[in-house]
Amino acid sequence: MARRRKQSKGEKLETNMSAMIDIVFQLLIFFMLTLKIVEPEGDFNINMPAQGKPTNPDEVPPFPDIKVKLRANPDGTLAGLFFGSRNLGVGPAAFEQLNIEILKVIGRPGDPITKDMAVEIDADYNLHFSNVINAVGACTGRVDKRSGNIVKYIEKIKFKPPTPQAAAG
Amino acid sequence: MAKREPNATPEAEVDMTPMIDIVFQLIAFFMVISNFEQTQADERVKLPRDALAKPPEVKVEHSLVLNVGFYRDMKGEKTDAQPWLFNFVDGEPVLPLSSGGQLKKEAKLFGAKGIDLKEVTVKVRADSEVQTGIVQELIKLCQDAGFETFAMSAMSGPEE
Repeated sequence: MARRRKQSKGEKLETNMSAMIDIVFQLLIFFMLTLKIVEPEGDFNINMPAQGKPTNPDEVPPFPDIKVKLRANPDGTLAGLFFGSRNLGVGPAAFEQLNIEILKVIGRPGDPITKDMAVEIDADYNLHFSNVINAVGACTGRVDKRSGNIVKYIEKIKFKPPTPQAAAG
Repeated sequence: MAKREPNATPEAEVDMTPMIDIVFQLIAFFMVISNFEQTQADERVKLPRDALAKPPEVKVEHSLVLNVGFYRDMKGEKTDAQPWLFNFVDGEPVLPLSSGGQLKKEAKLFGAKGIDLKEVTVKVRADSEVQTGIVQELIKLCQDAGFETFAMSAMSGPEE
C-alpha cells in the first residue's frame, strides 16, 4: 500500500474533455444558426365584436364618434387625411396634426371620459395599410418625449366597413 | 542553471479552461437571445412602423396569427401584386379573401380545446403595403367565424 501511494504522488487526474467540447460546439452552432434577429413588435388592440348584433336602443353613446377619413391615391399612397371635414394634408406632419386634434377633443389625457370616446376610421379600400396604423397610433396616444412612456388618448378604435373595391375606384 | 530531470518527458498540454468558459458564455448568450415564441411570424411580411407600437406587457394567452404579405425579391421589391396569407394552412399561402372556411375550422379547433373565442386574439400581421380593404375584409371573415378581439402588429420605433 505504502508503495502505491508513493507512486501515484504527483500524478494528475485528467478527465477527457473532448466529448464535452464536441457537444458544446454542436450546441453553439445550433444556437448560432437558429438565431433570428427579430425587431420588437407591438400590437394595437382593437375590439370588434361581430356586426349586425342588435344594439340596445336605450343605450345612446355619450359622445359621437370622432371621424377620421383617409383618402388614397390610385397607387395606394395617402391623398389626404381628414379630421371630420378638415383636411390635415399628407405625410408625418398630418398624423402629428391629427394627434394634436385628438388631444384638443379629449382635453386631458387619461381622463375617465376618454373611455366612452371612440374614433371611427374610414379608409379607402386601396390605401396602404401603414397609413391606417399611423392613424391608429396618432389616435391612441403619443410617446412622452421626456420619460419615453406612452400617454394614452383614445383607445376605442372602430373601422368603417370597407366599400367594395369596384365602387371605390 | 536548474537541474533538469533527464527522464522527464515534456508533454505539451493546452489549458482548455478559458476556451470552455468562453464557449459556455456564447451558448448562454445565444440561448437567451433566441426567440422560440415568435415562430408563427413570417419574415416576408414587412410590418408598418409606429412609435406607439410597444411590445405587450402581458402575453396573450391564446392567439391566431395571420400573416398578410407579398412575395418579395432579395431587394425587398414586390414580385407579385397580390397579397397572400402566409404560414396559415400547412405552410401553403392562401388568398386572404378565400380563407373563410379555414378560419371557421380554426374557430372550431379552439372550441374543441375548450377555449372561448372571446379569449382568442387574432393578431393581424399585415404588410405596410397591403390594401386596407383586404385587411378589413379579412377581419370581417374572422368576425364571421366568431372571433372578436383583434390586434394589429407594427414594428416599434420611429417612422422612417
